[in-house]
Order: sequence, then C-alpha cells, then structure tokens
Amino acid sequence: MLTALNNDLKPFEDLITKFSREELKPHVEVHDRYPFGDLDVDVIEAGFNKIYDLGFLGIMLPEKYTGIGQGISTLCMMLGHVAEVDASYSLIIFTSALSQEIILSAQADSIAERIYPKAKDAKEYLVAFPSFTDPGQSKTLPEASPSGKGYTLTGKLDYLVLGSFSKWAVIPARISSNRGYSFFLVNLNDRGVTKSEPIFSLGLHACPIIDISLNNVSARIIGEEGEGERYFETASKIMHAAAASINAGIIRGSLREAMDYTKEREQGGRPVINWSEVRMILANMAIKAKVAELCVTQTCRAIEENLKDWGMISIATALHVHDLACEVVTDGVQLLGGNGYMKDYGQEKRYRDARQVQALLGLAPLKKLVLIKEIVG
Amino acid sequence: MLKRSKVKSYTKKFPRFENESLSLYYAPRMPKAMIKETEEAVALARKFNDEVARPLSLELDRKTHEDPDYLPVELVKKANEWGFYTMWIPKLFGGKGFNLPSISYFLEEVGSVCVGIANVIGVHYLGMAACMMLSNTRIIKRVMNDVVEGEKTGEPCLISYCITEPTAGTDVEEVDLEAKGRLGCHARKVPGGYILNGSKIFISNGHFSTWNVVYAYTDLKKGADTKVALMVKRGMKGFSLGTHENKMGQRVCPASVLNFEDCFVPDELVAMDPDIIKSYTKKTPRNVNMQHIDYVFSISRAGVGAFGVGVARGAFETAMKYANETEIDGKPMVTYEWVQCRLAEMYANVRLGRLAYTEANLANQHRGAYNILQMKPIYYYLKYLPVSYFKKVIAPLLDKPIATWILSKWYIDWQKPDDQHLTTGLASLAKFSCTDLGVRNCQMALELMGKAGLRHDSGAEKIIRDAKLLQIYEGTNQLNRINLFKSIVAPACPKATFFEE
Repeated sequence: MLTALNNDLKPFEDLITKFSREELKPHVEVHDRYPFGDLDVDVIEAGFNKIYDLGFLGIMLPEKYTGIGQGISTLCMMLGHVAEVDASYSLIIFTSALSQEIILSAQADSIAERIYPKAKDAKEYLVAFPSFTDPGQSKTLPEASPSGKGYTLTGKLDYLVLGSFSKWAVIPARISSNRGYSFFLVNLNDRGVTKSEPIFSLGLHACPIIDISLNNVSARIIGEEGEGERYFETASKIMHAAAASINAGIIRGSLREAMDYTKEREQGGRPVINWSEVRMILANMAIKAKVAELCVTQTCRAIEENLKDWGMISIATALHVHDLACEVVTDGVQLLGGNGYMKDYGQEKRYRDARQVQALLGLAPLKKLVLIKEIVG
Repeated sequence: MLKRSKVKSYTKKFPRFENESLSLYYAPRMPKAMIKETEEAVALARKFNDEVARPLSLELDRKTHEDPDYLPVELVKKANEWGFYTMWIPKLFGGKGFNLPSISYFLEEVGSVCVGIANVIGVHYLGMAACMMLSNTRIIKRVMNDVVEGEKTGEPCLISYCITEPTAGTDVEEVDLEAKGRLGCHARKVPGGYILNGSKIFISNGHFSTWNVVYAYTDLKKGADTKVALMVKRGMKGFSLGTHENKMGQRVCPASVLNFEDCFVPDELVAMDPDIIKSYTKKTPRNVNMQHIDYVFSISRAGVGAFGVGVARGAFETAMKYANETEIDGKPMVTYEWVQCRLAEMYANVRLGRLAYTEANLANQHRGAYNILQMKPIYYYLKYLPVSYFKKVIAPLLDKPIATWILSKWYIDWQKPDDQHLTTGLASLAKFSCTDLGVRNCQMALELMGKAGLRHDSGAEKIIRDAKLLQIYEGTNQLNRINLFKSIVAPACPKATFFEE
C-alpha cells in the first residue's frame, strides 16, 4: 500500500508498524507452531485481545457499531504491514472485516447492534467466517429450517476461520424452499455445535481454523432469505483488495529478508548480492513488489472513488497479486539457500502463507471465470 | 544424398548430434535384462508405497511437527528390512546389484507418495556414490560390508555425504568457488592420519548414518587444491552429532549438524588427498577434485531429478483424485475443459521430467560413472555369477593396492573431458528442470484444489512443502543452470568465463 499517495493513512501506519514490530515479531516462530507445541491458547487469545483493544478488528465498521469507520485503504495498509511480519494476524483482521461486510451488505442493523456494541472482548467481537469458501461453490452447506421467530441449522461446515475462538459465526446455509443460500448468525457456544480439533494447514498457523457440525442450532437470519450470494458478492468484491494487500505485504517481507541475507552471506569470497544472477532474481522480486503495491493502492482508490467496474478491478488485482506473491516467496526461499528452508528464518513461512492467502474467498480459477463472465456479459 | 563420411562430419559438428540425442544412440545398447530389473524395482516401490509409505507418510510428518526432535528410526528400519539399502550396491561389494539407473524410477515411485521417505532411502546412495567414486576399493569393500551386515542384523548401516558447511554451501560444489569460499572444516596431517576439526550442516540422514564421507581441507584458504576425503564412522573419538534442523518439509529425513573436534582419522580411512591423487595421475588435485564432484553429482542430480518428477506426479495424482471426486455447478470437475487442460499439463510435466532424468542416466551409463558396470559383458558377468563367487574370488583382490590403482586410473584418467562435461551438464539439466516442474505442479494442484488442498490431511500441502527443498539441495537450481551452461553450452560462447564476473 503506497501511503505516500494518501497522507491520511500515516498515523495508522505508524501505529500498525509499531505494533507489528513490538508485539508480533518476537513471537512469530512460536505462534507458527500452533496447533502444536507448548503455545498456550491464552497467549494466542491475549494477542487477539490486543488487536481488539487497538481497534484493528473494526477498521471499516461504522462508528455507530463501535468501529473506526475507515475505508478500504486503511484496512489494506494495515493488513499489508501486519502480513509483512506475520500474515496469520492479517487473516484474523481480514476475517473480522469480511464477516462485518456480509452483515453490512445485508443491512442487518439488528445483527450488528447485537454483536459489536455489546462485545466485551475479542472473543465476542471477532465473528468467525469461512473465509476460504465461496458458499456458492460449495456443494454441501448446512440446511436451515424456520423455527419460531428464527431458524435452526443442521449439517456440516468445513474450514471455519476462528471457529474455535469466537462466540459468533456468520454461517452460510440453504433453506430448502429457496434456490440460493442465506447467511445466519450462530452462537458457537450453542450445545448443538460440535467443533473439530484445530486443522493443521499449510500456512497462517496462528489463526485457528476448524470444521463444525450443527445439530438443530438456533440461528438468526442475516438480511433476506436466499440473498446470500448477493451479499457475498458485494462483500467479497471489496475484500479481494484486502486479500491482495495481505500478499503484497508478504511480498515486501520476503524481499526485505532476501536483501538483508544476500548482503550478509558470502559465496565465492564475496557477498552473494554481488553476483549478477542473484541481483536479477532480486530485481524481479522488487518489480513484483512494486507492481503489487501499485495494484493494491490503485484498487483501493478505485473502490473509494466508486469507479465504474471497481469490483472487477478488485478481483483482477487479487488474482494477479496472489500469482506474484507465490512466485516471489519461492524465490525468497531460494535466495537464502538451505537457510531459507529452515524455520529459523521467515522465508519458509511466507512460502506457505502466500499460498494459503491465495485460496481466500474461493477457488482461484473459478474467480477468473467469474471475472471473464462479468467482462463478456 | 550425402556420403557416410559427410554425414559423420556434419553430425559431429557442434552441437554434436550424438550428445544431443542420447536415447537414440544408447537405448538400443542397453542390456535387455536391465528392463526386467527396472520393472522389478518399480514394482517393489509400488508395493512399499501401498504397505509402508502411504500409510505412514502423513502420520510421520505430523509427528515431526508435534515433536520437532522426533526421528523416524522405525522408517529406516523398515527400509532396511525391505532390503533397500543394499539393492543398488554392486554384487562385487556384496549388494544385490540392481542396475544403477533403475534407482531413479524407484525413487520417482516412492517420491510420488512421499519424497521425504524417498530421500531417506536415496540419500544413502549419494553417500555410496561419493564413497565409490573415491575409488579406494579397500574402503569401499569395508563400508559396503557394513551396510550388508546391517541388513542381516536388522541394524541399518547408512552412509552420508558431508560437504555443506555453516558458511559454505554452494562453494563446496564448484572448485572455482571453493578456491575463494569461507571454508571451515580443517584437516591437519599428522603421523598415521589426519586430525579433523570443524562442522558440517544440512547433512541428510546424518542422525541415521553409520559412515560419513567428509570433505575437509588442509589449507582453508586454498580449499580447491587441498581437499581431503575422509571416512568417519559414528562413534569415532572427536565426532559428535549436533541438532537436526527444523525444516519446512521432507521432515522425516533429518538434516543434521555434524561436529568434529580433534577427531583423528587414520590413514586407512583416508580415501583421497592431494598425495594420493599424485600417485595415480598427472592431473592436478583441483581437476581431480572437480571431476570427483562431477561424478558424484552426475549421479545424485539425476536422482534429485527423479525426486522432482516424483513430487510432480504426487501433485498431479492428488489433484486428479480431487477433480474426480468434486463437482462444480452440479457437474464433475473433470468434465470442464479448463480442468482437463490443467491436468494434461501436469501430466506432461511428469513425462517431460522423466525424459530429462532418463537422458542424464544414459549419459552416466555410457559416458560417466556407470559405464564400467553397464558394458554388456561386465553387466551379465556381475548379474549371473553367484555372490559366493565374488566373495571367494574377487573380494580378496579388493584389498590389494592394485585394485584401487586400476579403479582410480579408470575413473580419473579414462574419462574424456567431453564425457565429463556431458554427464555433469545433463545431470544439472535434469535436476533443475525436474524440480522446477515439480514445484510448478504443486502450485497448480493447490490452485485447482483451493482450501481442500490447504489441509494437512489432503496431502497436497505437504507435497508443496517437500518440493521446495529439491530446488535447493544438490546445488541450487541457479548453480545447476550455470553448470549446464559451462558444461554444454559454453563451447558456443568462447568468450564466456565463469565465477569471475
């Protein structure tokens, strides 16, 4: 995110940079061991509460719901800086923002009122969401049945981000009488909710993900019946830019570590950085880093200025930046040689995290098909 | 049409047609029994995959994450029980004597399920190759005997190749860099042997191995000219194991730290030093050093190429399984053209990679290290004579200095520079091409599978973690590109210099 193009972001940037450097950096390796290792769940939760106290979990949420009412530029800038140090925390912030965007898209005031102003801590404020799922692509979603004033949900939902931590979740489910799907607010402490052990995934380890089973769980509908796809589309359009900003941050981190290392390490009696092929790889990484930054910055501008086709721009940016990130992090490991493959350095984590980020909001090839469908009409 | 002499004259011009098309020339010369032997190796790998590798792969990987200090000793014992550590030891030295190129196909098979497990088996043969290419028949016999004994007793005896140092990785794989590198493993000549000091890192299987082929230098400032190769056995005074690294992938195969503190290595375990080289050849120690590196890596890089094809296959098969089981908009995923095209490309990557390592193998068979074993009369002689014959008649000869002299002359003086360049160049080509294709297929699999591929239990995420190491070890893919250029392309670029920019 090029903050030079937007001076308003500077105070937030200073805050998030300081937080990432002081609060996240010292613990990256330990947090990455989750769900294994001696890491106390309390330590993770304390981290979540810190980002809650600093207001990072409600960046785009209107002030009337106790958010800080900023735009996508602020969110992307923050996600990028956090990702530069530990992208797991970017996923937490991303998921919080995504569930909020679903609620806002549905204009579900009563739901927002019920959650955010009453929340006492991160557990109550952070709303779990299946951030890697485009529900429209899912063959199996829980079934929703009307029950009294509300609904009950039954069935399975996989890969629910923050499901083991949060009190609330936004869950997509199908009502048998509707063609599409709808979103529901579910209390994850309900007795009918069964949670799996934390899923061991490729990357972003410090952000817990689980599968859940629902058995007649009470739920409140978010917005209208059968309108889930429309809400998701609206929310995901804007959140694609946010996903791109996470990978842009990972790219920056990878480039920085590669530069630092190749200046220090020697090969053939001189610093590795002085060999021309190494410089060529670094140059390619730097070009991709710049392009990624520019894409994210201009996409945010397009969104905030409500430019025609901003939704397509956002998806295109995400697809492109994710591709760039997967290439950069692979080179980033390579430039550190054997050390890059070891957990003592940050590059192997970025190699994993970038690919995990690429899968946010659904299958990448299907996003391409959606994009071309929108373009072609 | 052209006369035969003209045909020969044109095809011998650079790029020499024979060098560019090894399959055409050398496949017909292959002893036919090699094919059956290779089939047997592949079948054995598939059986092992069904019974051992597939059931254990994800479980062992998870265990190493739960406890980073965990070492899967039982896996090594299993491989030992299956006879994998002697399968490619020539019968001359008591092994089962499978033809050496067949190990590539075997490693591809096992690697398609778990390249970490394939490495636990394959890297032992890197140690064997290094030991054999040093040509000291007495030492080879002793070490291989221990491996064969280890199979009989159920206590695996593995060999590691120890060259990487904390401040020298790529430098130890190329003499021009070795001459200027920051080397740290020092060997001091003393009466009766050498005193070894220093550390080696990233040594695959280090915590499992009994024997270690260790490179050290009598003058750390002149590493390329003063290299010594020492055989260090576990338990020798002054040799200790350090930690093993916490790696991203291939976690069942430990990358170990080896420490040497005033470790005395007796003359009988000195496989190579500048004085020994002088007694066999007029070539300089530096040239012999490079030739030895080329011999070893020409073998091992073809093997890493097979690992690369293994992961490419693993990724392809995982993605195909997912596509077969998944529907998009109510239709099977495999009915969509975009899915078919991606799966076709992944399959093509597997086949292209296999062609690359096959060419590297053919170079080794006819112009490199395997040449002596692949000549038809010798191949059949070794294949059909009983082990007892080798034990009674040949084994005693291996202790004689003349045996070492013949093997050293054969390997050092017999090989023409053109052959050395071809074998090392094609091995590098196979190494970087296959491993790049492997990582490429992993990426494609993840893109095709989305969140399903991210879960550990899907297998896909492990493959992409495992695959990345292939682009780094046995020389980074950048070094291998330069080696290919230097070895095969450079004759067309007479002004080119290397490692001097």
